[in-house]
Amino acid sequence: MRSVKSLDTAAEAGRHQREWFADLRRRVAAGEPFALLNADVPHEIFRTMDIPYAVSQWWASLVTAKQRSGHYLKLVRQRGYPDYSEQYNSVTLGSAFDPEPEAGPWGGLPKPDIIVGDASGDITRKIFDVWGQEPGVTFYPLESAAENEVPVNWWELVPHRWEEAVGPARLDLLTAELENLVRFLETTTGRRFRESRFREVMALVNEQEEWNRKTHALIARARPAPLSVVDSIPSVMLPQWHRGTEWARDIAKRFYEEVRDRVDAGQAACPDERARLMWIGRGLWYDMGFYQRFQEEYGAVFVWSMYLAVAADGYIRYGDDPMRTLAARFAAFSDQLYTPPWSSEWYVKEARSHGIDGVVHLVSDDPRGSYFTARALEAAGFPVIEIHADNVDTRTFADDVAERVGQWLEKVVLA
Amino acid sequence: MVTALAALEEAYARRGAPPAASEGRSDGRPLVVGYVGADMPVVLLTAAGVHAFRLTGDPESDFALGDRYLGRGVDPVARSVLARLLAGAFGDLDRIVVSHDCEASLRLFYALRELRRVEPGAGLPETYLVDILHLPHRTTARYNRRRIGEFAARLEAWTGRPLDLAGAVAAHNERSRLLAAVAELRRAVPARLTGRQFLAVANAALPVDEHIALLEQLLAEAGELEEHAGRRVFLSGSEHDTPHVYEAIESEGYVIVGEDHSFGDLSVHEPIGAAGLDALAEHYHHSGPTAHRATAGERAAHAAAAVRRCRAELFVAYSRIADEAPAWDFPAQRAALNIPAVLLERQEYGRADLAALRKEHPCVV
Ligand code: SF4
Ligand code: SF4
Repeated sequence: MRSVKSLDTAAEAGRHQREWFADLRRRVAAGEPFALLNADVPHEIFRTMDIPYAVSQWWASLVTAKQRSGHYLKLVRQRGYPDYSEQYNSVTLGSAFDPEPEAGPWGGLPKPDIIVGDASGDITRKIFDVWGQEPGVTFYPLESAAENEVPVNWWELVPHRWEEAVGPARLDLLTAELENLVRFLETTTGRRFRESRFREVMALVNEQEEWNRKTHALIARARPAPLSVVDSIPSVMLPQWHRGTEWARDIAKRFYEEVRDRVDAGQAACPDERARLMWIGRGLWYDMGFYQRFQEEYGAVFVWSMYLAVAADGYIRYGDDPMRTLAARFAAFSDQLYTPPWSSEWYVKEARSHGIDGVVHLVSDDPRGSYFTARALEAAGFPVIEIHADNVDTRTFADDVAERVGQWLEKVVLA
Repeated sequence: MVTALAALEEAYARRGAPPAASEGRSDGRPLVVGYVGADMPVVLLTAAGVHAFRLTGDPESDFALGDRYLGRGVDPVARSVLARLLAGAFGDLDRIVVSHDCEASLRLFYALRELRRVEPGAGLPETYLVDILHLPHRTTARYNRRRIGEFAARLEAWTGRPLDLAGAVAAHNERSRLLAAVAELRRAVPARLTGRQFLAVANAALPVDEHIALLEQLLAEAGELEEHAGRRVFLSGSEHDTPHVYEAIESEGYVIVGEDHSFGDLSVHEPIGAAGLDALAEHYHHSGPTAHRATAGERAAHAAAAVRRCRAELFVAYSRIADEAPAWDFPAQRAALNIPAVLLERQEYGRADLAALRKEHPCVV
């Protein structure tokens, strides 16, 4: 049961997303280049050059929400590729193999001219490389480099002292790769890269994320929670894919105002709030209702997901050299969420600031530092329950998960 | 009995065991360094004069602790190595160095680094990451050069001595030249070595100079080697840090005459041109093509050439559970080959689904 109506900004973001996609399809049909980008690559360059793009993970989440991921995984399998491997990206690859692409959600994903992804893990690069073999598609990979020693308190360092947090080796590498990417795009698309426009885009991103930071701080303090993650995820994530536009900055501001108004009016996601929950892991796109299932019976509200939190802490970068500053946003992006000690210490900090009573941890099959996250949270006194499933592959989600979480709430969190 | 082969087999059986030199340690003994991964700049370890050996797993020993710290989504080899490290199976290591040859190795490094931080009682030694990357671009080449330089400096700091690069490069080039000649014995028709024997010969746990001496002796004794007339298999895919899968496949009457992982044919390489860090950085940048770092296209081209060279009759792609990169390579490989090809996917560590192999190719046995 939903006790309050959903956010206007979420509805507005959803409406904008459809319009944007329809417009993108029109532009591509009219002959403009189209880029498909992984979430962790610097979209800001494409924004600056006004090259239409879509984000691979956004598409995967849409496909999954439309219950079509199984269809695309089947197409992957038919080509002889595994359908059990890094589904978040392979679902998107499946749409390239669709004999009827228009039958996909929202008229289908146009065929990309350019794909940019980082070579993280063993599989991501393979998937995009396979795609890059399709006629007319070029894959531009970025390295995924790693550092020996890092300071723990990244969230304090990254806005200004990112050089210290990330280290010069990774920054030099990604800066050079991005300079080359610009030249590649100038050459293949004929578009210009203007430095003044780049600085504008970079400033707009920081403004957007500063609004998210304020919203995040507000939700951390408010009791009861003014909204659950079901409401916050679309209001954060859809604008995130439009980073560097005025629309995205403005809707981040309106999201803040809407949350503030709710807090001022004493509105609550669950008026009878008895437990504040943290969701660690990617969104459960095929069952977003999961997040509200425990409100009525247990008064348990999911107040935290990484989406708003990483918008608040993970993106803001200030610096005089915009290309190096942009590299600093992405050279260690996923470490913030997945690599201890950065990830583990950050989740503890977040659990503390949000007054968390229990942590539900989605552990996907792709290798992530989950033990250390759970260990750090438990050592800091937060109970953790792990769910093993893939977030876009419904076949992996066991029937008894909700029941297990319910029992855990009863016996551990609320006991 | 060929005496060199027996000695190499015996040294292979000691792989991953604490080196003899570390017993009765005195102040002058070399540092003992355990390393992980195909991308380790082994030449630098030799140049530093440390006693280095590659850490390997064991499918028969319990790796619950590895599962716990790494999760079950990581290649079981890394989980096994971690469990064995925590159980002290590698003896008293002074340092661990890890390369970023695949996701599992990187995760292993992060787990070791974090365990040292939060559980100092586990007694793990200092752990260092050597981040060699493989995109075929100058940006990556410059990055690798920097990392090679940092690692060289770190080794000198550890030992307090300058590196002997010239000596190490010469020794490794010589070892690789000899290994290439041994690989030809296996490629002969009929094969003069089994795949299982070649694994042992290439991975005998020996200091480089002793390894070289035994390889020379083996080549001198080549005339006495048995002939192996089984159906010739090229084994593609996951790394095999133990002989289990080779033994399973060869026990069915096949002989593995070539493979594309770093414990086998991929450890044979072109000579390193010069005894300097620039040449080393290029050498390690271009190593491979391994399943984890090369593209499906590169892997397919390599498979086609390698299959021809070793006159294989059957191509077996092996993809271990949680090591899925080989399964992504398979469609392009099969398309590039003119011999039958079979994929064994989601294989358990140390096992091969022989029923699947027989079913696909009923005429083989
Ligand atoms: S001989 Fe070649 S492959 Fe073997 S350890 Fe030395 S450098 Fe590496
Ligand atoms: S089963 Fe057919 S394809 Fe396979 S090895 Fe025998 S003859 Fe060749």
